[in-house]
Amino acid sequence: MLRYTLRRILLTVPVIVGILLVTFAIKSLIPTDAVTAMFEGQVTEAEGQQAIANMRAKYGLDQPWYVQFGRYVEGLSHGDLGTSVRTTRPVLDEIGFRYLKTLQLTFTALGVALLVGVTSGIVAAYRKDSWLDVTATTISLFGISMPAFFFSLLVIMVFSVWLKWLPVMPRGWEALLLPAVTLGLIEAAPLARVTRSSMLEILGREYMRAARAKGVGEAALLLRHALPNALLAVATIVGLQIGHLLSGAFIIEVIFGWRGIGELAVRAIEWRDFAITQGIILIGSGTFVMLNLVIDLLYTWIDPRISYETA
Amino acid sequence: MFRRMVLLAATLGCLVAPAWRTPARAAPARAADTVLHFRLGEDPETLYNIKSLSLTVNSVLGAYLLERLVYFDATGTPQPWLATGWTVSDDQKVVTFKLRSGVVFSDGTPFNAAAAKSQFDLVLDKANASPLLSRLGTLRKVEAPDPTTLVFSFSAPYAPFFANIAQAGFGFNSPTAIAKSGDQYGRNPVGTGPYMLKSWVPGTEITLVRNPHFQQFRGDALNKGAPYASQVVLTVISEEAVAQAALESGELTAANVAADAIDRMVQNPQFHTVINKVVTNLYFVEFNETHPPFNDPAMRQAVSFAINRDAVVKAAFNGYAHTANDPLANGIPGYDAAIGAKYGPTFDPAAAKALLAKAGWTPGPDGKLVKDGKAAMFSLKSYSGFEVVDRTLSVIQSNLADIGIGTKIETADWGSFYPSLLKPDWDIDLMRWTSSDPSILSLLFRSPGHRKATLENAAQDDILDRCNTLMDQKARTACVGEAQISLLQTATIAPVASDWVVIFTQANVKDYNLDFFNNLIPGDIQVAE
Amino acid sequence: MSAALMAGEIAEAAPRATGWRWLLRQLLRHKQAQIGGTVLLVIVVCAFIGPYIAPYDPLKVDALNRLLPPSGAHWFGTDELGRDMFSRILFGTRYFALICLVSVSIAAGFGVLLGLIAGAGSYWGDMAIMRAMDVVLAFPFILLILAVVAVLGPSLWTAMIAVGIAGVPNYARLVRGEVLSVKHEEYVEAMRALGAGPVRIMFGTVLPNVVSAIVVYTSYAMPVAVLSASALSFLGLGAQPPLPEWGAMVVGGRTFLRTAWWVVACPGMAIFVGVFSCNLLGNALRDVLDPRGT
Repeated sequence: MLRYTLRRILLTVPVIVGILLVTFAIKSLIPTDAVTAMFEGQVTEAEGQQAIANMRAKYGLDQPWYVQFGRYVEGLSHGDLGTSVRTTRPVLDEIGFRYLKTLQLTFTALGVALLVGVTSGIVAAYRKDSWLDVTATTISLFGISMPAFFFSLLVIMVFSVWLKWLPVMPRGWEALLLPAVTLGLIEAAPLARVTRSSMLEILGREYMRAARAKGVGEAALLLRHALPNALLAVATIVGLQIGHLLSGAFIIEVIFGWRGIGELAVRAIEWRDFAITQGIILIGSGTFVMLNLVIDLLYTWIDPRISYETA
Repeated sequence: MFRRMVLLAATLGCLVAPAWRTPARAAPARAADTVLHFRLGEDPETLYNIKSLSLTVNSVLGAYLLERLVYFDATGTPQPWLATGWTVSDDQKVVTFKLRSGVVFSDGTPFNAAAAKSQFDLVLDKANASPLLSRLGTLRKVEAPDPTTLVFSFSAPYAPFFANIAQAGFGFNSPTAIAKSGDQYGRNPVGTGPYMLKSWVPGTEITLVRNPHFQQFRGDALNKGAPYASQVVLTVISEEAVAQAALESGELTAANVAADAIDRMVQNPQFHTVINKVVTNLYFVEFNETHPPFNDPAMRQAVSFAINRDAVVKAAFNGYAHTANDPLANGIPGYDAAIGAKYGPTFDPAAAKALLAKAGWTPGPDGKLVKDGKAAMFSLKSYSGFEVVDRTLSVIQSNLADIGIGTKIETADWGSFYPSLLKPDWDIDLMRWTSSDPSILSLLFRSPGHRKATLENAAQDDILDRCNTLMDQKARTACVGEAQISLLQTATIAPVASDWVVIFTQANVKDYNLDFFNNLIPGDIQVAE
Repeated sequence: MSAALMAGEIAEAAPRATGWRWLLRQLLRHKQAQIGGTVLLVIVVCAFIGPYIAPYDPLKVDALNRLLPPSGAHWFGTDELGRDMFSRILFGTRYFALICLVSVSIAAGFGVLLGLIAGAGSYWGDMAIMRAMDVVLAFPFILLILAVVAVLGPSLWTAMIAVGIAGVPNYARLVRGEVLSVKHEEYVEAMRALGAGPVRIMFGTVLPNVVSAIVVYTSYAMPVAVLSASALSFLGLGAQPPLPEWGAMVVGGRTFLRTAWWVVACPGMAIFVGVFSCNLLGNALRDVLDPRGT
């Protein structure tokens, strides 16, 4: 077990290095950099020549790619993710507070997703093939069948404009409400599906029939006997969802004005600001890789019957 | 049992939901405590003007926080603001300003020639890598011989100077504050403007309060005293639909509105409409002159005559724009309507067809023209992400098809489109440019041109170069007039339209005034009960 | 995206195919399959006959008739350039079908191949492929797209290729898991004993048993592909105007949400209906092919 753990941890290193290399490769493919992106449309090259040269020199953008790569890695070793050309602030500062906002959104949305998803999964499993099943499935599939931005705009129009339950520009905790609910509904579908199938599988098992024969009530059967076992599978899915969501649900963030790293990624792309983009890639993929690792290890720890190779 | 649980949950849900109803936040109405709510399309990446060219950054700094040496009045002439007057030397290479005394930054430190000099020195300093350096042209050094005198020395006359220093980029920051905040100054700007920064929730909201040290020196301001509104809150809303909704719910005091929503709101008595038709933007068509057929001025003229500018204004801008037949937008000093009327293009497909026929194009199969065995099929490029551009392209495509020219529309986001014009494989593009100074003509069209696609034309280049060296306004205007005529005669540019600035304010808002460059003068705004 | 989670579930389901006719009969009895399948059939039919039954030319600009609400003449109204929405929606079915087909083919094609090689091949091959898949998976989706667009330029094909690439790791993982679980089964050992080469074993024996898992997963991968492609339109990196692709239409019309809701709502609902049906069909396939469900 320990050897497996060490091996898995070591294996994350080539993945991260691979990601960094791919990022730098992409950078060399894209014709504009942050400096030209800043000037274009406002200042012609003739006017801006000197200013552009100054900026390139200051941020090291006039160096060959391997020099830039070397500098970047060296900076990483003491926690420096570089400085953004556009905002002139350290990348770590830019990403830092945005990441917290993404965390807030992610976990609140997951709460909603669990509530809606698990509930509809239970209902659907309990009354398989009935109209209740179809209804519960419809609700759970609703979020995942709409294009995210259409859904987001719809939610804003319904709740802020038509029903007026929330102001159009909410502040404080109210600002978290709509994006979390929207994202939660979108992420509920996989949870509903897994809950439904896990519940179905468990409800069909021998010991369930035995419990029913003993006279255990329906609700107790569902909630106290079947559900906890089904939740293991749900937990795995949730873990993977967190990993994915922490890269930022950028559409939700942009439309609701929730300043997380997804929205930052969209802006960084517009700005062609590679320092920020690299930082987000690093943090996003780093989180995903770490989380995957933790889940894999937890899974093998909880259920030693699972062969390591099928992870 | 299960069914009962479901019902219970549903009932509870229905009871709880309406309790979340919160009334929309409207501006409080007490006159002494008025708060203005405005929208920003994006969060400013910094509020340190020397680090940025962004329009959002400059609009926030320029309207509320920082003041400049001069402003431009309604006739497009520079007027004293923080300067009281200036002289230009005989060789036109030295400009000397006299500064106002008694002006104080919001942190209490004095504004004087030394403070002003430090602003320009920071831009000139290579180590700061300021993008604003591009707007100082041939400036060599700035000197402050005494606290109210500022001397600019240029290596060659630089005509765009006055227009440039009137922009927010050269608004004055308190040197003391810069020294104190260091790297963090971009989050804590300090200026002499009517408001000062109270708080900034990054990405969401900027709150400004009255600057107690402020004195109004602008001649074009209606309110000569302290601003009427005590606070200004700028909220970042990136989605158009959401911004419109916020305006309608009363949460925004005023906002720009996309062309298509204007009709609906103009009828609505809840709003006042402020339309500014004197603008500095221009949509125009330009050509790749480095290879046939658009190296031939007759071809370019033909395209220019084929475009139905009225249709563009109607379809793309919903009527909230005006047609342009002059290479300068009507808000740029030096614009001359008479030139456009006399030398500019009109909608004349017949003339276009005649020009094409004379150039050797004959009607071919399926309605397209043919010359030397090749059908008339050209690439029409522009930038993506804006419906007005897409619609303008569609209209132009249709207009050109009517005279037998086929076009293939290619759009890409600005960051891909603009560099792609340096490659020779395009024919026609639709461009939009905003500028406050007529030097834009030489920047774009003096050969080899901003995309290296303009052929050398000694006479035209000569005029354009000369215009940039004339510091005397009358002489410069005359020269710029010649430049416009030349550009129209060679059809280097086919102007299309300029869109208007349309702003809706709540009905109880008075004196929402914009200056010559369409920047807000916030101190004038009053909100009635 | 959330399709990654499907891969995990389906690998556990270990379904077994028992004949296409049986499958079809089972599906036709399943409510979700009935609804989902019918709608998808309609979409596919429209994709073929759309050009013949569309009342107007979807690309014809008519500046005088902009933003007309739904009426007898224009069932879904007109858009900001006066084009008939109904015709555009009809033509859009082709792009819907195209995206489903192309993105999933790329993802499945490469993914299945890589998964087979990883599962059936050597240890180092497995390691290398799986780490490469990890790199692709870990990359934030939006930046993966940017990479592809940077090379190929924005267009519908670029969007489909990018979405396809993003989908490869999930297929690879799915297939690899399946291969590993049947690797040591008796019938595979038997084939090996009989002297069959690894390629024959892979394609002849292992693959057919993995097919049902792939099929079920594909029915979930298609909606994800469509939604991802429209997410790209949101960034201006996908289908370019004037293409009547539903995602691009929703994004292009979003400023009209308050003034001319049909410009946004019609393509938005079209996407919803299409994707929802795919999901229903996927649910049904899973129920039918999963022996552990009651």
